[in-house]
Amino acid sequence: MSKILGVVLRSGVVLSGIIITLGTALFIANHSLDDTSSYLTYNPSVIPHGNFPVTLTSIASGLASLDPLSIIALGFLVLLATPVARVALSLFLFAAERDRKFVYLTATVLAILLFSILATPLIPFFNG
Amino acid sequence: MIVLEFFLILFVASIAAGALGSIVGIGGGLIVIPILTLFLGVDIHYAIGASIVSIIATSSGAAATYVKDRITNLRIGMFLETGTTIGAIIGAAIAAYLSATILEAIFGTILIISLVPLVRKIGEEFPPIQELKGLAKKLSLRGDYIERDGSKIEYNATNPGKSLAGMLVAGLISGLLGIGSGTFKVLSMDLAMKLPMKVSTTTSNFMIGVTAAASAGIYFARGDVDPLITAPVALGILIGASLGTQLLVKAKNTAVRKIFALVLAASAIEMILRALGF
Repeated sequence: MSKILGVVLRSGVVLSGIIITLGTALFIANHSLDDTSSYLTYNPSVIPHGNFPVTLTSIASGLASLDPLSIIALGFLVLLATPVARVALSLFLFAAERDRKFVYLTATVLAILLFSILATPLIPFFNG
Repeated sequence: MIVLEFFLILFVASIAAGALGSIVGIGGGLIVIPILTLFLGVDIHYAIGASIVSIIATSSGAAATYVKDRITNLRIGMFLETGTTIGAIIGAAIAAYLSATILEAIFGTILIISLVPLVRKIGEEFPPIQELKGLAKKLSLRGDYIERDGSKIEYNATNPGKSLAGMLVAGLISGLLGIGSGTFKVLSMDLAMKLPMKVSTTTSNFMIGVTAAASAGIYFARGDVDPLITAPVALGILIGASLGTQLLVKAKNTAVRKIFALVLAASAIEMILRALGF
């Protein structure tokens, strides 16, 4: 079981690395001599603060047109999924060991994690 | 500055951050944030977003190796993670309504004070074996791992309550300041639970990824995670972390503790400088 955990972690990391490398190569191919300032503008008064896709729909449509920034964002989301997968797999690990206390404990951590990743961005209070 | 130059500087700095971070159980924000704000003139919000990326990359990049070598204590990590994730959500929720300055000053001061007990046990290779009792016994917070010379190192955790309280604070700081607070996590396991140093840093490595993931959704949706910064940071960190993990497996606990003490001093100074407005 910890072998499976290792394989899942490694493939998540490698997959994310490949996707981000692809996006970076594509970006550099067309923009290597651009000035960075146009990509690093931060607008504190609007959400999102930058000029790049942050919603799943905008990332998906960006991917369809091979937009490098959307590809990099996808790579980051894959990377973000690996610690979540690690906690989820640990849940099975403890269940297989019939360790009830740790099944509850891990389920709590997983619930908090999923709540904060999926739900809190939708709650205005958290976006101040 | 042109894109290519920006990428290269950030990529090289991130390799160093990933290597160091994976050895001492921190996320690399210590290196990545000042490079971005002081050297590359990037807005602090993007630098904090980059720090979240670097924490998750360090944690996941190092995890594959540490799971295989079984140094990380998943039980202790998961137990303490309840504290950090709850702390992180509360921190992220109130971050927008609170000045970070006072917090940075407090956090920096705590780090400086904790150098004293850390330096006192600087030469300790393995902690004396503790009695397993109370909550630690109920949850079986113990473990063992095999050192490179083939010897089996066994240990029991003490003071789980104290350590959990430390983790709640660590989570709060993570959510508020967008840092992994790996230093705080390692300290809490090293000083309260009295685990071998390598167990503390690798378990912290597991935990910082989960804690950072808990606040990543909010930062990402706000638009604080700029892909132009994410790309060189993530790639550099992943490479650096795979180098660092190979070093850690072979390193002595005393060497790891010495490097950690230096990193702790540097983080404390950086925190206080930030609080003073640099």
